[in-house]
Amino acid sequence: MVELSNADSKVEMKTQIPGEAGIWAFVAGDLLVFSVFFILIALGHAEQTDIFEASRGTLDLRFGIANTLLLLTGSLFVAIGVERCRSMPSGKNKQWFFLGIGCGVGFVVNKIFEWNAKIEAGYSPVTNDFYMYFFIFTGIHLIHVLVGLGVLLFLLRMSQRSSLSAREIQTLESGAIFWHLVDLLWIMLFALLYLL
Amino acid sequence: MNETAIPSSSSDALFRKTLAFCGYTGYAAIVLFIIGGVWLGGMLPALPHANDLPSEIVAKVSENLFEIRIGSIFMIASFALFGTFGAGMAMQTRRCETQPGFSYVQLVFSSMGTTIALLVAFAWALMVFRPETYHPSILLMWADFAYFLALFSVPLFGGWCVMVALPIFLAEEGKEPFPRWAAYVNLWAVLLFAPGQMVMFFKDGPFSWHGVVAMWIPFVAFFVWIAVMSFLMIRIAQTEDS
Repeated sequence: MVELSNADSKVEMKTQIPGEAGIWAFVAGDLLVFSVFFILIALGHAEQTDIFEASRGTLDLRFGIANTLLLLTGSLFVAIGVERCRSMPSGKNKQWFFLGIGCGVGFVVNKIFEWNAKIEAGYSPVTNDFYMYFFIFTGIHLIHVLVGLGVLLFLLRMSQRSSLSAREIQTLESGAIFWHLVDLLWIMLFALLYLL
Repeated sequence: MNETAIPSSSSDALFRKTLAFCGYTGYAAIVLFIIGGVWLGGMLPALPHANDLPSEIVAKVSENLFEIRIGSIFMIASFALFGTFGAGMAMQTRRCETQPGFSYVQLVFSSMGTTIALLVAFAWALMVFRPETYHPSILLMWADFAYFLALFSVPLFGGWCVMVALPIFLAEEGKEPFPRWAAYVNLWAVLLFAPGQMVMFFKDGPFSWHGVVAMWIPFVAFFVWIAVMSFLMIRIAQTEDS
């Protein structure tokens, strides 16, 4: 009986970690690399404080806030979608992923408008180090968003099934974890580029 | 007929030995690059810089002529082993396919990747072949050429990783050629190679071909990828042996 309860508790502990082990390795690896990016921004700020402060003042905070809200809201929709798929799989769950994709597309459109406004105002990656980091790092993040949208489209298709195997649930969770990573990276970039 | 038939057990043993061999060549490629590219050849960290004047490149190269020449020999030996390393991954992928698919695609990427990598070593060697005769700007061009081959070729090396990851993700449960976490490592590597394409736009700073983002991150990710996949090939061979 004791052995059985130990086994049960092990199973319970296992199921508490969402997604596959591999996605967590991926998240850790990506965070490690973005940490290098964050350090570069911080070093640039320390070395060229005046240029960074002046350039930061030219950013439109409204674009940054809108993008942050879009990604946070999108993450909420995706999390609800995954939870619904886990508890009661049905074709109706796709709406949550659809809303998540809508938020992601909104982010991309907003980013295009923001970049366009900056380029029209005469700012480009060669203007100074701040704008170099701004365009390149938000560009690399944008690639993450586009990959994430592809992942969400895959999850949307999967969520329409009336029954999901344990492995399919794990795949759903892994996809959602990637989307949350995109969210987390943006929050860090937003803080470093727009706020601090 | 019986004389030519190969017993399945011995052919499996040969396969396992071949797979382990391919894995060890991945390790050998890393060691040879560390000797040739890092210690002697001045490729990582970059001895010449993208913002150097041609005369500065000539001075740097001339001061380290012998080391770079020896380093180039080690580098070309390292890069040639990408072929056996890639073939090993394709072999293991082929085992899990009913009909050949991704294994063949991997072989194409592996061949192209090996060719491009060999050209890196060629460019590096030609840079030090007769620097006293070449116009200084030619030396700069060889250095540009070497780093562009290595870093700007993101779709090739990234595509190779994707072709390793996809058959893992798409395989039936329990029939994956490599553990599923390896697929994520491959995708992670793709993301890290991506900043390499920034070398087109910058001649100074972290996005230039001597910079931390465009050079260090893709180079380190590439060799970590080789180490991980080599480890897995050797482990699969050893596990099946035991």
